[in-house]
Amino acid sequence: MSVEKLLKEIGDRKAQKSTRRHFLFDCAAGLGTAALGSMFLSGCSNSKSEKLSLSARELNPLAPQSPHFAAKAKRVIYLHMAGAPSQLELFDYKPDLFKLHDQPCPESFLEGRKFAFIRGVPKMLGPQADFRQRGESGAWISDNLPHFSKMADEVSFLKAVHTDQFNHGPAQLFMHTGSARLGRPSIGSWVTYGLGTENSNLPGFVVLTSGGKTPDAGKSVWGSGFLPSVYQGVQCRSKGDPVLYINDPKGVNRPLKKKAIDAINAINREEFEEYQDPEILTRINQYEMAYRMQIAVPEVMNINDEPEYIHELYGTEPGKESFANNCLLARKLVEKGVRFVQLFDWGWDSHGTGESGSLNYGFKNKCREIDRPMSALLLDLKQRGLLDDTLVVWGGEFGRTPMQENREGKEQFFTGRDHHTEAFTMWLAGGGIAKGVSYGETDEVGFLGVKDRVSVHDIHATILHLLGYNHEEFTYEFQGRPFRLTDVHGHVIKQILA
Amino acid sequence: MRFTYSIILGILAAVFIFYLTDIDDPIDYSTQVKPILNKHCISCHGGVKKNAGFSLLFKEEALADTENGHPAIIPGNASESPFIQRLKETDPEMRMPYKKPPLPKDEIKILEAWVNQGAKWGKHWAYEKITSVEPPEGPRFASLDTEEQPFFQNEIDKFIYSGLLEHNLTPSNPADTAILLRRLSLDITGLPPLDRWKENYRSGKWSYEILIDTLLASENYGEHWASWWLDLARFADTKGYEKDPPRAMWRYRDWVIKAFNENKPFDEFTIEQLAGDLLPNPTNDQWIATAFHRNTMNNTEGGTDNEEFRVAAVVDRVNTTFEVWQSTTFACVQCHSHPYDPFKHEEYYEVMAFFNNSRDEDTNDNEPNLRLYNKEQEADITEISNWLKDNQLSPKEISREITFLKTLEPKISPDYFSDFHKGELIDTKWLGLRNTGHCMLKNTYVNDADQIIFYYNAYQNRGKLTIRQNDEKGEILAEIPINKTGGKKIEIFPFKPKKGYQDLYFEYSNPALEEQQNSFYVEWLAFHKSLPGKDKNEYPSIQQKFNKLLESTPPLQPVMVENPEHRFRETRIFENGNWMALGEEVHPDVPESLNDFPADADRTRLGLAQWLVDENNPLTARTLVNRIWAQIFGQGLVRTLEDMGTQSDIPEHGKLMDWLSHRLIYDHQWDVKALIKDIVMSGTYRQSSKSNSKLRSVDPYNQLYARGPRFRLSAEQIRDQALFVSKLLSGKMYGPSVMPPQPEGIWKTVYSGEKWITSEGEDRYRRGLYTFIRRTSPYPSFISFDAGSREICEVQRLRTNTPLQALVTLNDPVYLEAAVAMATQLLEQRPESIDSAIERAYKNATLQALETEKLTPLKDLYESSLQHFEENPEAVSEFLDYYKEDFEKSKKIAAMAVVCNAIMNLDEFITKT
Repeated sequence: MSVEKLLKEIGDRKAQKSTRRHFLFDCAAGLGTAALGSMFLSGCSNSKSEKLSLSARELNPLAPQSPHFAAKAKRVIYLHMAGAPSQLELFDYKPDLFKLHDQPCPESFLEGRKFAFIRGVPKMLGPQADFRQRGESGAWISDNLPHFSKMADEVSFLKAVHTDQFNHGPAQLFMHTGSARLGRPSIGSWVTYGLGTENSNLPGFVVLTSGGKTPDAGKSVWGSGFLPSVYQGVQCRSKGDPVLYINDPKGVNRPLKKKAIDAINAINREEFEEYQDPEILTRINQYEMAYRMQIAVPEVMNINDEPEYIHELYGTEPGKESFANNCLLARKLVEKGVRFVQLFDWGWDSHGTGESGSLNYGFKNKCREIDRPMSALLLDLKQRGLLDDTLVVWGGEFGRTPMQENREGKEQFFTGRDHHTEAFTMWLAGGGIAKGVSYGETDEVGFLGVKDRVSVHDIHATILHLLGYNHEEFTYEFQGRPFRLTDVHGHVIKQILA
Repeated sequence: MRFTYSIILGILAAVFIFYLTDIDDPIDYSTQVKPILNKHCISCHGGVKKNAGFSLLFKEEALADTENGHPAIIPGNASESPFIQRLKETDPEMRMPYKKPPLPKDEIKILEAWVNQGAKWGKHWAYEKITSVEPPEGPRFASLDTEEQPFFQNEIDKFIYSGLLEHNLTPSNPADTAILLRRLSLDITGLPPLDRWKENYRSGKWSYEILIDTLLASENYGEHWASWWLDLARFADTKGYEKDPPRAMWRYRDWVIKAFNENKPFDEFTIEQLAGDLLPNPTNDQWIATAFHRNTMNNTEGGTDNEEFRVAAVVDRVNTTFEVWQSTTFACVQCHSHPYDPFKHEEYYEVMAFFNNSRDEDTNDNEPNLRLYNKEQEADITEISNWLKDNQLSPKEISREITFLKTLEPKISPDYFSDFHKGELIDTKWLGLRNTGHCMLKNTYVNDADQIIFYYNAYQNRGKLTIRQNDEKGEILAEIPINKTGGKKIEIFPFKPKKGYQDLYFEYSNPALEEQQNSFYVEWLAFHKSLPGKDKNEYPSIQQKFNKLLESTPPLQPVMVENPEHRFRETRIFENGNWMALGEEVHPDVPESLNDFPADADRTRLGLAQWLVDENNPLTARTLVNRIWAQIFGQGLVRTLEDMGTQSDIPEHGKLMDWLSHRLIYDHQWDVKALIKDIVMSGTYRQSSKSNSKLRSVDPYNQLYARGPRFRLSAEQIRDQALFVSKLLSGKMYGPSVMPPQPEGIWKTVYSGEKWITSEGEDRYRRGLYTFIRRTSPYPSFISFDAGSREICEVQRLRTNTPLQALVTLNDPVYLEAAVAMATQLLEQRPESIDSAIERAYKNATLQALETEKLTPLKDLYESSLQHFEENPEAVSEFLDYYKEDFEKSKKIAAMAVVCNAIMNLDEFITKT
């Protein structure tokens, strides 16, 4: 039952039971859930009439709101490759690194620097992939990504991103919350806190993980930190309940569940009449939303009914917990009005300590797993006219060294690279992003960013800018001071804006 | 007519007073000036930014020369002070606040008068010493309406009443007996009341006060209040960060429960948690209490720098200590002086110096650990202790030996090794050498040690580890055979004594190994000098007992242990908060704007703890009062629970807070139960929580307390209550954390084979605070109800109201099991009618009688439900999860369970009314 109806009913009941001791209401007509600007309940005790004003946000903390200025992007799909893929085998083409292959690493690279696993003097490792220039923009993309190569002119590359964390957990936290320490809200939480969501039958911030693995930093990467927990990411799963506890218990069908919720809400309305606590109205609203969500979530999470050509495009196999399925789900979710969709893929930590974590084997398989679906996602969004106002972000938590890893001082059979903070590649596409731009340069071996370096904070500032927020003014008051996603840093990367 | 005149006169008087203020009345810095500065000035001229070299944070900064070489404030001369001139500028480029609208005229007048009066600085109210406060004169009892009389129960009500008068409000009526009983029981024990409490109170056998005393004496009290404290203590069952493996910390949780139940005074409670290890001859319990600060996270991700995360833990201890005891967001000061509050950058590191000398170093094994010996072993320790006494060891030396026995500290972790050849730290954690590999342990304090103790694991025979003095040609100090150990093991080997500090060369040989093969790893090692009294006959038996204790593997509990002098770490300022950019050295001290460090206290954690509970500390008692009040009323007297600094709201009831704080320190001697009793005895607390249009408009958030508290229960309470009313709740207390059912596939973390193994028997039904908390993946239904992940100190759980919460209580099997259990019990009692069964269910859940308006929807639901199960017989066994042969009975249980589930979803059930 909509709140509009509910209010009307409360009004009607007043007329019926004017003798009751309870405090009664009538309501300003014409305000429904769809466009809840604010809800007014005017009380009428002792002929004095005062207004109870419940803002849309009080009734539904995810009610949509406008940002600071007109936004280029209305929603975000963020593809995070946990483990940190090697930029040197994907986008940062360094022919000079071939020449140095197997040579000892220059001392100047090692002085004063810490690495996660490299000890002593490692050897340089030439690019483990063939590169070609693609599209009109001439972006270098390796043969590891044949499908994505066709999308080169749709995206902007950031070639000299840097971070200050060289361990997965802290670096992922930094990438998603702007701080390497726990306790800050994730980007998705900030965005849903700011903008709310267009579809109250679905969570505003959805998280999808390939194969059900959570990222190294745990659920804090989609946590709400000091923001109310209603803004935290909701993990939607391909196996089991798509959202925890979304399915009715066995033996209970929809009509019976509807009756139960009607009974609960009827009694809660009685309670509201008696106690006048606006929280009760909010609760009534939440139970209605829960009921609708129970239908909407399984519907949107079901990809069986997608046409064959879509499955072909993404390479999806219904029933699997795969990155491909998640890309298709991401498209479905944003199409339905979800504000922020966060994908986590895993297995990108190519140290070379074993086959699956090596550049010569495991990494190539990982590339095959993501290449088709992420390209399909861009194409599909584009053909639906959604790419114009959907921002797509791709990246890891840091990059990888031009040196071959030598863990524990040993030579390794498989090839791999250590964690690297100085320079790595990310790409953005869609809402408000320029097409075919490459911004930032690294040195001849891809060790340091030498031109147009951008920080994690810059990327956050840019994402918020595209969504209509000035990152310096988008704050939340906590512990007596305003907090920002970008702390005291960050500049919008204007060069990649359309 | 007369009325109008008096209004006009009033306005005139106000205007007159305003102008008078302008000239004569002393301006109060804290209440009049500081709020203006904080609002308009300090974001550019404060702790973070000091634009044009001008800062208003500290007096000396504000009066100092700015970048142009002149001061901005000239005390006594507002018209010559650029600070005032710039506020009045007409040129918007020159006017302050920059690019903002000009300040209102009255605010400029206040600042002007303040400068003219000498720009005197003052203290923020919360930093003033707590002094005794007289409650406002209450109204004469006889003059009150009979309705108002029950409101006045204790002094609290006088403060509240005077606030209500100012806003033209009157107190609400007392809540119904049943409502109050439930409220009180939930607040004190976290659970609904037991049947016999209900009867005794309702029948009048017990007074309200006896009821309170009974509830406070119940062991459930400690469990409930421990839940609150464990959020502050960031207690969890895992280490956090990437791998997030388990870490047994539950003994600390049990210590907290017991401390509340024993009603340990808050000063002792504080001292034992912060510095129990530094008390003379600490008991195991005092040692376990120090795990408060071992709840910091421990990063065991491969490739992490242990020093980085040791520092992170120390920083967390500083921040948490100030959050928990001082309502101060000290974390800001890590990078720069506090933006608003009078704390300087270097003061942060002076406080850090108190915490920087604990032994822990973010190692994999959580060292230092207290070794929890059994009774016989404890008796051996006593015997050894006596032996040491008999052999003329000083108390300090004895204490060092006992600490060694109980913790094996100080240890040396593999991080101290360097100059590796054919070896490295395995997974950047453990010392490992391959055949002919070697490494150095430099500048190590051996001080005549004749024992070297290894904690290691070897999986090949025929290895030999040789330790030499200085280098590969040096004198051999130890030759250690390394053979298969069958798991990790502590073992003592002889070591040739040397004086003072030595460079040690470690080499390993095992010709049986392949070139790249490791065959052992060392978790830690330690040096020790064997016991004195070698000439005595009993010596061998005592030394053997000592060795046996050392080599035993009792259960471990992470605790705090202080560095010995030779391992002392100096503390330096981190430039801009960067732990690698070290500045000047600092020494342990407390911030200048708070109370003085007690003259007779040591500059240790113990001294710091004593400083916190010193009667002159302005913040500890206020903080505790504010937070306990918030547990009961849903919000603090100062609304920003985490912060009582200059940015906090000016409390509506500041005097009440000070009255309660003073009483807590001086009358109650930090007795927490007495403080809680004061609050719940008040008429303010006992009011009905019903609101009305007037209260809604004048005081929507109940900050004036003209009505009783009403807010949603906590995550743990909601589950506990459902289990309680369905009689499933286990009363079992203490012990390792349990794993009640949770959905499949919640624990899927990288690199972790850890599994959620659902507990059996009554452990499925324990109170929420015993549920295993994995930081990266906490119990899902608790998260939905705003419980945190315990990674950092959480002062306040925000209360949200979301559809996901509805899904939990509607569909989580825990709640369905409770509903089925309750329905089964109801029908076993053979109620006369369905109506009476529903009434009983409702009363069981909420303690209240069911009104007809509420009965009708539930009865309708029962009938629809019964019809559904009659039409779909297979649904009965699906729903009940078991098959009852008697279908007639089963369908009724199922239908009634649907009703019970609805009752457990009612607002009045999940809310404290």
